[in-house]
Order: sequence, then structure tokens, then C-alpha cells
Amino acid sequence: MRNVSHLAIAALTLSVSLAGSAYAADPVKVGVTVTQSPPGSVVQGTQVKDGLEVAAKMLNDQGGVLGRPIELVVEDTQGLPEKARAAVEKLITRDKVVAIVGEHQSSNVLAGMEVAHRYHVPYINTNGWADAIREKGYPEVFNPNNYNRRVAMAAADSIKKLGAKKVVAFAENTDYGIGLAKGIAEQLKAVAPDISYRFDTLDRAAKDYLPAILPLRSDPPDVVVDIMLPPAAYIMMNQVYEQGVAPATKTWLYDASGLADYPDFWQNVKEAGKDMLVFGLYHPKMKAPELAKTIGDAYTKKTGAQPSRLLYQAADSLLVVADAIKRANSTEPDPLVKALEATKYTGTRGEITFSTESGYKYHQWLDIPYVTFQITEIGQKVADAPLVEQAGQPLDPSKLARP
Amino acid sequence: MLTGALAADLAVNGLVTGLFYALMAVGLALIFGVLRIVNFAHGEFYMVGAYAYTIVAARLGVPLAVALPTAFLFGAALGWIVERTLMRPLYANIATWGLMRDEYAVIVTFGLSLLLVNLVDKAIGPYAFRAPALVSASRIVVGPALMSGQKVAAAGVTLVTLAFIALFLRFSYWGRAVRAVSQNRLGASLAGIDATAVSSLVFALAGGLAALAGALLSPIINASPDVGAFPAIKSYVIVVLGGMGSILGAFIASLLLGLVESFGAVLVSYQYRDTFGLVLLILFLLFRPQGLFGERGREV
Repeated sequence: MRNVSHLAIAALTLSVSLAGSAYAADPVKVGVTVTQSPPGSVVQGTQVKDGLEVAAKMLNDQGGVLGRPIELVVEDTQGLPEKARAAVEKLITRDKVVAIVGEHQSSNVLAGMEVAHRYHVPYINTNGWADAIREKGYPEVFNPNNYNRRVAMAAADSIKKLGAKKVVAFAENTDYGIGLAKGIAEQLKAVAPDISYRFDTLDRAAKDYLPAILPLRSDPPDVVVDIMLPPAAYIMMNQVYEQGVAPATKTWLYDASGLADYPDFWQNVKEAGKDMLVFGLYHPKMKAPELAKTIGDAYTKKTGAQPSRLLYQAADSLLVVADAIKRANSTEPDPLVKALEATKYTGTRGEITFSTESGYKYHQWLDIPYVTFQITEIGQKVADAPLVEQAGQPLDPSKLARP
Repeated sequence: MLTGALAADLAVNGLVTGLFYALMAVGLALIFGVLRIVNFAHGEFYMVGAYAYTIVAARLGVPLAVALPTAFLFGAALGWIVERTLMRPLYANIATWGLMRDEYAVIVTFGLSLLLVNLVDKAIGPYAFRAPALVSASRIVVGPALMSGQKVAAAGVTLVTLAFIALFLRFSYWGRAVRAVSQNRLGASLAGIDATAVSSLVFALAGGLAALAGALLSPIINASPDVGAFPAIKSYVIVVLGGMGSILGAFIASLLLGLVESFGAVLVSYQYRDTFGLVLLILFLLFRPQGLFGERGREV
């Protein structure tokens, strides 16, 4: 009888330990929502997905988190808010992910974060710039990426430094486009109230923007600001150039959307891109932590492409989640959210912390580094484009080349 | 403020845009005229033409003068194949087909549209490609307007093509056959016209014209998997405005829409530009449902 009891105990111990080891090997699932097919920006989605995969591999090579590998569960949103909402619902309820990362369009973030908020699951916004995302004040949403107010401040300062009197912006009809266009208006009012500024909202699905551009021919502004994303941005830029509006001797073209490091930029824009000023979240000449080189090299090895801002934003999104899981020693929502809020992590672009001030600053990494550079040659690589504004310093007009 | 110079600029650009719309819409009107169906995959023929031209000219290095007709032939071949494989059931059993005919056409062409977009997305990739321009000049002065050389060249090719189509339909045997079948398919068959061959011809011609439009505009509107959606929507509006199945109506309505959009964008607001066509559409459906040159429905 005693032997039987010993056998039973041994069997129980073995089964528990086997179950325990199986549990320990269970992956930590992280949900990813990205655009993988039209009509959204597949270019962005691909860069983000590659960046997340590079970061996940690096983490897993280092032993994962809490002794468990990280598994990315990817859902294609097609850039459509309703699909983003459904994707987050599916990732949380069916795949049981511990956090959501990757979203790169503001409209989709605004849709997906509602679901994450309802289920109280951490949501890391990888590239949604709309201030409205922060202003919702959802405790689950964290923003280690750029935000519209930051670009608005940068654009307003640059426009002022350029000595502009009249500025026209072309903004796409999205939360991102309209939000940033309004943000620039507010910032210009604050730092340079004498500058006349207006913006036109353009449909990003349209293919002809000439009726909006033609009136500028007879009365050109000093600066045309691009607040559109590809492919619509390329069409707009080509038509603005075709009409002789910008870049031109009188008129600067200021790209607030960071188009120049898109892989298909020079395939679609030729002369229209020369002399353009670019708000950049990444430039090879920026100072960056060592981790940026590790991630950048792994990305180049994987894709053959040069690193981009989206690569680093995507990698940081996953890295802050992994860091929070380690510090919380848990994948449960409450401790994870608490750990994320206390983040002080040196990622690929600097030390990431999240503000707890309300409004557009809520759960935002405020000190996102940025630069301004000028494209001086057709086909020029970002690395070769001269910096006219170093991170943390004002734009230097003496470094500009007039078109 | 609408100055004289701006008005002239808007007029020229509106007419040129209208010409491009016409190249798409004429094919759609032809298909409706002969088959009495709306081809929801028409925009994808445009997309196929844009890619065919871009790949043949930019990747294979074929001269542009050859690449352009190649794109037309590619679209025509695709149209012919689609008609042979997917459209034949529409009139194979015309006596028993009944009401299901319309549903079949909608589902098949809509499905074809999704298939082609996703095939190109996966096979070629999501990135937009800009094709080489027929004329390299970035800016050419056209009266009061400033245009890219490509736009001027594309407008010229479009005008010539539309003139050729008009002459073909008016004077050639097959053109008269197309008109006969569009008037009365059964009657034309009784008169000895091969209505099935006419259907193939019309689908090939419509596919070719849409592909040509895509090729001509690909140096301006970069080729991407969803590039055909926008011109297709315009074409549907135009075909109704012009009168379902009317070629002349489609041409006039195209120019009208181009002008209305061009002026409306400045006089009203650019943000409502794409709604002008829809407002016109609603007004026509309310007060002149047969369109500019269409006929009222007749049944006996």
C-alpha cells in the first residue's frame, strides 16, 4: 500500500513538474496590428512588422521574458479602423495576447485602443501621431513614438526660422492629417502670430489635387507644408512641383510626414523631392544608443534595407513591453500597466519614460528626438542629406540651399 | 477669388481630366450597351494597364512607343479572357437565365476585382511604382495652363484614341455590329451578326481602353494595387450621367464632370470635389434618369 502511495505521489510530482515545465515554455503572446494589404499603407506596415520581428528575435535569443519566448501574433488591418477594432478584439479574446503593439495609423489606433481599454490590456501605440490618442487618457495606452504636437512645434519653429509670411499646408483627411494641420495652426499662433496660415484637407484616396494647387500659382506662399502619407503624398508633391509652386525660389516645401526615408520615395518622386526640407525622426547622423546599431544591423541582415524610423519605433514598442513584463514579473494587465507607467528604459532612440500629465502628454514619451534635413540631390539617401537642424537645437538657416 | 487666368487654368485642367475619364468610361459604356451589365472590375483593367506599361517600359527596357500599345493589348487580352471564361454564362442560356443574370454579373465582376487587386498585391508587392514618362519635360505651357509633358502627351494620345473608336464604331463592320447588338441582341443575331463574337470584342476593347488609360496616367498617378478604384468610381457616375450604354453621352459627361469638379473645387470647396459628381448623379436620377443621351426603358 505504501509503495502504491509512493508511486502515486511520484506520478503526481512528475505530472506537476511536466505541466510546470510546459507552462514555463509557453510563449508570451504579443498581438500585432499592422497594414499588410491595401488600402492602408503597406509600406509602413511592412517596416513595422520587420522591426517587431527583429526585436522579438533579439529578445528570444537572450532567453525571452520570464524564461518564456515571445510570440508575435500578427493581424492585418488593411489600414481600416473597423478591421483594426476587430483585430484587437480577436487578439485579446481568442489569442489571449498580453499586450498589443504595432499600429501605425492614428485612425486605427483610435479604433483599436477602445477595445484594449475595454479589456484593460496594455496597448503600445507604435506610430499613431494624433494627439487625440493621448487626450483620451486611457491608462492602458502608452506612446513611445512621435506625436502631432511635437511635429507642430518643430514645424512652427522651422517656419518661423525660414522667415515665412504666408504658409499653406496640404493635409490628408485623416485624424493624423487634420490633427497635425490644426496643431501647426495653434503653434504658429503662439510663436509667430503674424504668419498667415491655412490648410486644405485632401482626400488621400484621390488622384488629382490640381484644383487645390492651381490657386497657389498666382499667389504662391512662402512655405507649402506636406501633411500627407504615400501614395497620396507623392501625387500631391509631383503636382505641386509640376505647377511650379514648390520647391521654388520663393516657396519652400516642408515635409512634416517624414517621407524621405520611405523605401519607395525616389521611385515615385523625382525633381519634386529635391530641395525639400524634411522633419526627420531618424537620421544616421543622429546620436543614438548602442542598441540602435544592434537592431539596425539585424534589420539590414533580415531585409537588405537600411534602418528607418519605423524600425526603431516598432522595436522600442516591443522592448518596453518586454522590459515591463520583466519588472512586473507578470503578464497580468494590472501589474503590467503599472510597470509600463514606471518605465525608464534605454531603447534604440534614447531613454524612454512616460509622462503622467494629462492631455496630449498623457503616457507620452515627451522627448522624442528629431532633426530637420534638406534633400539636395535627386535620388539622395537620407544619410547623405545635410542636417539643417540637429536634435535639440534650432534650425540653422545658413545651412539651407535655396531651390 | 476666381480670376480670368485661374478660370482658364481650371477649364483646361478640367477638360484634360475629363478626357482621361472618358477613356475609362467609354469602355464601361460599351460593355453596358452590349451586355447590359456593370463591370465592377473595370478599375482593375486600368490597374493592369498601369503595371503592364511600368514593367514593360521600366523593368524590361522596351521603348515607350512599344510599351504603350503593349499595355493596351494586355488589357484587351485580359478582357477577352474574362469574357470567354466568366461572362459567357450570361447569354449562354439567355432564355432560362432570368433574374439571376444581374446577380451573377455583380458577384463575378466584383469577385474578379478583389482577386486582381490581391493577386497584384501579393505577386508584385504593395509599393507604388512611377512609370517612365512619354515626354520628360516637367512643365509645358498649354495656353493659360501649366502641365507636365506627360499629361499633354497623354491627352493627345487619348484624343486620337477616342477619335479612332468613334470612327471604328461609326464606319467599320464590327463597329456597326456592336451598335446593332447594343440595340437588340436577339434582333442582331437574327440578322446574322455573331453577337457572341461582338461581346468578346467589346470586352477586349473596353479592357484595352482602360489599360491604356492606366498606362498613360501611370507616370502621373503611380501604379499601385488599388490605383483603379478611383477612376472606376468616376466611370460609373459618368456612364449614368451620359446615359447607360451611350458612347457619346459618356464622352460628354466625362468632360462635364471634369469641368464641374475643377471649378467646384475652387468655387465651393476642394473637400467636396468628389461629391459634385454624386450630386449630379442624384439630380439626374431624379429628373432625367435616362441620362444625357440615354433612352427611357422600353418593354413590350
